[in-house]
Amino acid sequence: MSVAPSRPQILSLFRSLLRVAHNFPDYNIREYMKRRTIDAFRQNRNLSEPPSICSAFSDGKSQLDVAKRQAVVYSLYAPQLRSVMEIQNP
Amino acid sequence: MALRAAVLRHVRVPIQTVPKLHPWLGGSLLRFMSSHDDHITKDEVIDRVLSVVKDFPKVDPSKVTPDVHFQKDLGLDSLDNVEIVMALEEEFKLEIPDKEADKIDSCHLAIEYISNHPMAS
Repeated sequence: MSVAPSRPQILSLFRSLLRVAHNFPDYNIREYMKRRTIDAFRQNRNLSEPPSICSAFSDGKSQLDVAKRQAVVYSLYAPQLRSVMEIQNP
Repeated sequence: MALRAAVLRHVRVPIQTVPKLHPWLGGSLLRFMSSHDDHITKDEVIDRVLSVVKDFPKVDPSKVTPDVHFQKDLGLDSLDNVEIVMALEEEFKLEIPDKEADKIDSCHLAIEYISNHPMAS
């Protein structure tokens, strides 16, 4: 197993995941991805063993790749109507 | 080529002048599109930054001032810090590079950065 990722690297992964979440055109998926990212990082906040940090980090990185790919696919099939949650002044 | 020249010699396109815009319309449109007038003022930046920070679920709105430090004064952690900076990016339609975003850890720095950013809107 490689060395545990540093704090800035982890925060950068967190930020990248939130950025990708922002690219989803569908409100529900966008919010889910944001929520899921935040929850996962919170859940793993107290990891202290380097191997478990490493595996969580590489898991996050592979999820980031999946999300990037899916954001492209979802943008090809963007919903025609916006969600009612996105309307500022109903 | 000869054919083309022959055709072109016989084709006449009537010259038309572009109708002049009304002075008030042209004037206001030009000002509207200019990149210098629509920049947000510092007061507006302060107001909007504070409202974004106050809307953050874990923050006690009464503690938020323009000089507050996210982690020392509001009891947030580094993940919350990233979330707030992302919320600010969304609010002002900016993309803050990682290096800059890591440095923003207080309302004061956020206000400075955003009010000096040419693309903030």
